[in-house]
Amino acid sequence: MSGALALRRGARWVHHRDVTRPYDALVVSEARTKAIVDSALDCVVTMDSGGRIVEWNPAAERCFGHRGADVIGRELAEVIIPFEMRDAHREGLVRYLATGERRMVGRRIETNAVRADGTEFPVELAITLIDSAGPPLFTGHLRDISERREAEEEVRASRARLVEVADETRRRLERDLHDGAQQRLVGLALDLQLARETVESDPAAARQLLDGAVGGLREAIDELRELARGIHPAVLTTHGLAGALPDLARRCPLDVKLDGLATERLPVAVEATIYFVVSEALTNAAKHSGADAVLVAFDQVDDRVAVEVCDDGSGGASMRAGTGLRGLSDRVSAIGGTFQVRSRHGEGTIIRLELPCEW
Amino acid sequence: MGRRILIVDDHAGFRRSARRILEAHGFDVVGEAEDGASGVALASELQPEVVLLDLQLPDTDGFCVACELRDAGIPAAVVLTSSRDWSDICARGGEAGAVGFIPKDELSGTRLRALVG
Repeated sequence: MSGALALRRGARWVHHRDVTRPYDALVVSEARTKAIVDSALDCVVTMDSGGRIVEWNPAAERCFGHRGADVIGRELAEVIIPFEMRDAHREGLVRYLATGERRMVGRRIETNAVRADGTEFPVELAITLIDSAGPPLFTGHLRDISERREAEEEVRASRARLVEVADETRRRLERDLHDGAQQRLVGLALDLQLARETVESDPAAARQLLDGAVGGLREAIDELRELARGIHPAVLTTHGLAGALPDLARRCPLDVKLDGLATERLPVAVEATIYFVVSEALTNAAKHSGADAVLVAFDQVDDRVAVEVCDDGSGGASMRAGTGLRGLSDRVSAIGGTFQVRSRHGEGTIIRLELPCEW
Repeated sequence: MGRRILIVDDHAGFRRSARRILEAHGFDVVGEAEDGASGVALASELQPEVVLLDLQLPDTDGFCVACELRDAGIPAAVVLTSSRDWSDICARGGEAGAVGFIPKDELSGTRLRALVG
């Protein structure tokens, strides 16, 4: 090959490349854009100025249940917009084309969309305007936020239930005080008053009243002690779970075994939550399960503590039946823990909670 | 015999102590009821002159029982009692036809007589 030819060829080659560079770049850019859109986790849906769908990525296929081939060319409003919002969407498009006024474009909003099966679900939506030389295109990035909404709703409901439980606990405390110790003390006040009046005229009767009053006072003191323990046992404050749980186990009419209970102290809220859950679980087991024995097992790994309360009763406990287990679950969730119940009929009940113990 | 009185209260301990002190103070305790419905029934059967009526009962409250007694034409003087602090709502007792209120721990023949004569 001569040098001139080589040069010519080189020149031609260079020349050829110069001519085709914009075309190559466009092809590469389009391929890259398509790859991004196709692999996006969010739905990417593009609409033309006539309101028709011109782009529908795989995420949109999965989310809405429509294949791209079936919806390209159809009016977007009819495919994904809830019936009652369609007219507003159409009017917004007409308004933009006539006046350039943008109400939705460039903002991140939360709204509802419709799946192929007709179900409505919440989405987060951002619309981008592609204002090229021709008529404008509108690309919407949509994200199904059903799970987030459900989680938010569960947090809200759980908070509301915790407040209800706290209120109910206070009401029960007032009732217990009123019906218990307070009534005894009222009776004592009347008896002592009568004893004072009769101490000279009928000393024997007065002595009998005083004997009764001493007995009544002891009962009132016992009742108040029990009530105080029920609110928050003093031994839990002073000695933690290692002090309070053996006491709880002794008071339970069932055969309770504690396993792996460490003596190290945990954060106050963690100790109180574990005590409360174990106490409720033992009460439930004794009242409802027909169990003979309960094993309370502890396991602490790194910064988490796990507790399992297993009984050999009839099983069949459910988070849905009554508010007891739900209340425990709310309490555990409130300090960042997890709560599970396994309770098949005839197989006993296992309550497992895991709590972060370092904050 | 002293004035005939019916005690309506759901706490047996209080009924026992109240009976003791009122009998010692010359009242004739003709009956005890532990809720509103049996209180109204007993009052109509026994026709007491005084009804000592607890404000909080398991089935209703003392105001309602007082109204029922009045509406049933039972002429007993109704005295409300409670161990809770009800001083702020005593006016309702007047509307219900009760003659007065005595805190449970201050109950005595003297206090009762001051209200019912």
